[in-house]
Amino acid sequence: MSVELSFGEKNFIQGGIEQNLRADGRQRLDFRPMPIETGVIPQATGSARIRLGSTDVIVSVKAELGRPNSHHPGKGKVVIYVDCSSTVGPSFQGKKGEELSSELSTALQKCLLGGSGIDLSSLILVEGKLCWDLYIDGLILSSDGNLLDALGAAVKAALSNSLIPKVNILPDLAADEEPEVDIIDEEYTQIDTSSLPVIITLTKVGKQYIVDATLEEESQMSSAVSISLNRNGQICGLIKRGGAGLNPSVILDMISVAKHVSIRYIATLDSEISTAEASSAS
Amino acid sequence: MEFVNLQGIRLDGRRPKELRQLCAEIGVVSKADGSAAFEMGNTRVIAAVFGPRAVQNRSQKIANRALVRCEYSMAKFSTGDRVRRPKGDRRSMEISLVIRQTMEACIMTQLMPNSQIDICLQVLQADGGTRSACINAATLALADAGIPMCDIVVSCSAGYLNTTPLLDLNYIEDSGGGPDVTVGILAKMNKVTLLQMDNKLPFDTFEKVMQLAIDGCEAISKYIREVLLENTKQLEYRRGL
Amino acid sequence: MARTISDLFSKKTDIPFYISYIHKITPNQTLKQNNQSTLNPRRHRERDHREMRDLKDLQKSLNQTQRVRLQSALQQLQEIYSRASSSPAAAVSVSDCIHVNLEDGVLKGHGTTNRNDDVVATVCGIVERVNKLVYVRDLRARYKPEVGDIIVGRVIEVVSKRWRLEINYSHDAVLMLSSMNLPDGMQRRQTSTDELNMRSIFEENDVICAEVRGFNHHDGTLQLQARSQKYGKLERGQMLTVPSYLVKRRKQHFHNLEQYGVDMILGCNGFIWVGEHVEHGVDVPVETVKSSIENMSIEEQKPNNFTPLETRQGLCRIANAIRVLSTLGFALSVEAILKTVEWSISSNVEIKDMLLSEFCVQAAEIEVQRRILLTKRKN
Repeated sequence: MSVELSFGEKNFIQGGIEQNLRADGRQRLDFRPMPIETGVIPQATGSARIRLGSTDVIVSVKAELGRPNSHHPGKGKVVIYVDCSSTVGPSFQGKKGEELSSELSTALQKCLLGGSGIDLSSLILVEGKLCWDLYIDGLILSSDGNLLDALGAAVKAALSNSLIPKVNILPDLAADEEPEVDIIDEEYTQIDTSSLPVIITLTKVGKQYIVDATLEEESQMSSAVSISLNRNGQICGLIKRGGAGLNPSVILDMISVAKHVSIRYIATLDSEISTAEASSAS
Repeated sequence: MEFVNLQGIRLDGRRPKELRQLCAEIGVVSKADGSAAFEMGNTRVIAAVFGPRAVQNRSQKIANRALVRCEYSMAKFSTGDRVRRPKGDRRSMEISLVIRQTMEACIMTQLMPNSQIDICLQVLQADGGTRSACINAATLALADAGIPMCDIVVSCSAGYLNTTPLLDLNYIEDSGGGPDVTVGILAKMNKVTLLQMDNKLPFDTFEKVMQLAIDGCEAISKYIREVLLENTKQLEYRRGL
Repeated sequence: MARTISDLFSKKTDIPFYISYIHKITPNQTLKQNNQSTLNPRRHRERDHREMRDLKDLQKSLNQTQRVRLQSALQQLQEIYSRASSSPAAAVSVSDCIHVNLEDGVLKGHGTTNRNDDVVATVCGIVERVNKLVYVRDLRARYKPEVGDIIVGRVIEVVSKRWRLEINYSHDAVLMLSSMNLPDGMQRRQTSTDELNMRSIFEENDVICAEVRGFNHHDGTLQLQARSQKYGKLERGQMLTVPSYLVKRRKQHFHNLEQYGVDMILGCNGFIWVGEHVEHGVDVPVETVKSSIENMSIEEQKPNNFTPLETRQGLCRIANAIRVLSTLGFALSVEAILKTVEWSISSNVEIKDMLLSEFCVQAAEIEVQRRILLTKRKN
């Protein structure tokens, strides 16, 4: 999904990035304003909708009871899947959006689930037999670049909004019996998202890197590196996209730039999520 | 299961001839030519219209009228139990075809030869009546895009449970095993463009249920008309002279 | 039966309330809770106020005071409009009857159709009457071209002897080689070499400014011409897309904003070009400039080949002003754009902050003031 630009326009964009004044007046390391809305899908356990310029994504979290994996009997399961709606554009009708959606799904899985982002052992109810399965579904309604960052932020917001019901496990069961549960109404636990990483994509255009590229800027990139960082500055995942090869020193430089940006970004994201929660609760 | 109790109140507190809460919003997808979001109770649908534009696939070009394409898809989180349905499954294709035929009947395609109109429908939440909500949302989106139509198409569903005709079924009532009649009408011209039913129903009861659905359609068409008028007025004021 | 339903419907709260308020179902109201009358349509709903178009996205980020200010500004606009126009806005929706005195022999124009001797609207819009012609002016539809319009378009294909351009219309537009000035400026016959060298004039994805010459009668495509010096390829700038109804037809569409060193072209089709000022009449040898640049990679290009920083700042400010005005739905005219830019400079708003909600609300208020002044001057 790229936008075709004329030579003069490309020159203009590259010049802007060199001179630290992009087409909409932002500097290289500035994000667009990011309004968040939570609780948009009442049927889900938690949901959030995020807008980044014209990019519009909805993420919903559904918690269902399931069986833990036999390799990890002490942990719950999390599955992330992203879908591209046909409202993105007429070129995304039918099966054409599948390539983009599968690329984004795998990228999200790698970035968010690497490291101890979500405490999977908190999802376990009966060791080896019963756990909560979290199904995280993303839907892209409109795209204007930087989908991965928007999805990462929306997943964090949706998880903060999730209220998992508390359960009573009926005692006295034999070793091979299925446990019976009783779901308590009106009592919920929240998921701890403070250690969930955020994803920051750095797009390299010319010699400089920019954060939060629009669709036009993305069409000019030589390569892009998406880094997921948590609050402590640790890297939880790293993906490189784009056709050009990168010098290893350039990648190390990009990682340090991302670390520097992430401090401010995590703070903005947290404040946006809490405003969203406050306004949806009122 | 008792769908209508002795006092005549349904499971969600409505009376048998009462519609669910309607809510329409125009202009939700900024990149589309026209878009709308329509809610009927807990069913929420977004429609986006792209067009009229030049035909992408030359072989499908029609010389004297516009080509109308429609795609219906449900989000994975839309239903109560999360089911992974692929995009091109049978139910979606059937509904896409039905909606395309319904909308083609009202769009004045002969005014836009050699062009293409794409209608994209996305269900965000499904609680019964998604077909009807999609048609209503598509009408709003087409009007927002300024595509000439000969009339507004509205749609509503009705059923028959516990010997009572019920208007606008939700998911629980829909899966109650009774018949489900979906009607789409052209509001002013009073013509039926869509009529679907599943299950079985004796003929005179069918007439009652269909009439109930048509009455529901008329109420929805009034609401849609008011939303469109208000939107037009607001756009004109802001644009200025 | 019909009476019962419409009675119930009319008991619901007032129409403006319906349209501007959206019911938010909180997570506690699930389907399992049957006894609550949450789905009872007669319950009073309170929620945040929303508006339309991209204004909705804007509204989501406003706090309470900003919302109130924006609402009062829009209200004032409504009053100005109703005072200024001689008759109230006769808005119609699809398939509404238009009141017409049939004996006068009325001509039915765009957006109308005949139905059983009645004139009926086919689009949502405002009814306009000009002598005997009655038509419906629709607002958000695609661009409606007229001969002599100045448009900005992008080349999608180079075919034999013509370029196909994308403008915001239901078909593509065509620019014939014969409607273009030849690169060396001489008036001569086109040879086959010229046909082979079409790409040296315009390539795919180039942005071009041209004028509408006419319609091609058999398939409705648009014919363009670019014979004057002021038309042609546009470089060193950015192209913005706005809804075409916001650009009104005026005498001047080319604007040279001298104090910023910026050229602005308001295309009637909704494509707006904002770029560095280029002197017309100077025959820039297009081929040599382009080929030399293409041979260098990005890193090798000298920084002084890019637009200078001050021009760029002016450019970005103007582009952001256009974005703000189109989000708010105000008609784009040079005066409105310049006023917004001057205000942003005088109140020391940074360029990137022009897209934030605070500035949008201020821009709405400025526009209200400007329109009040305009109507006072007219009266």
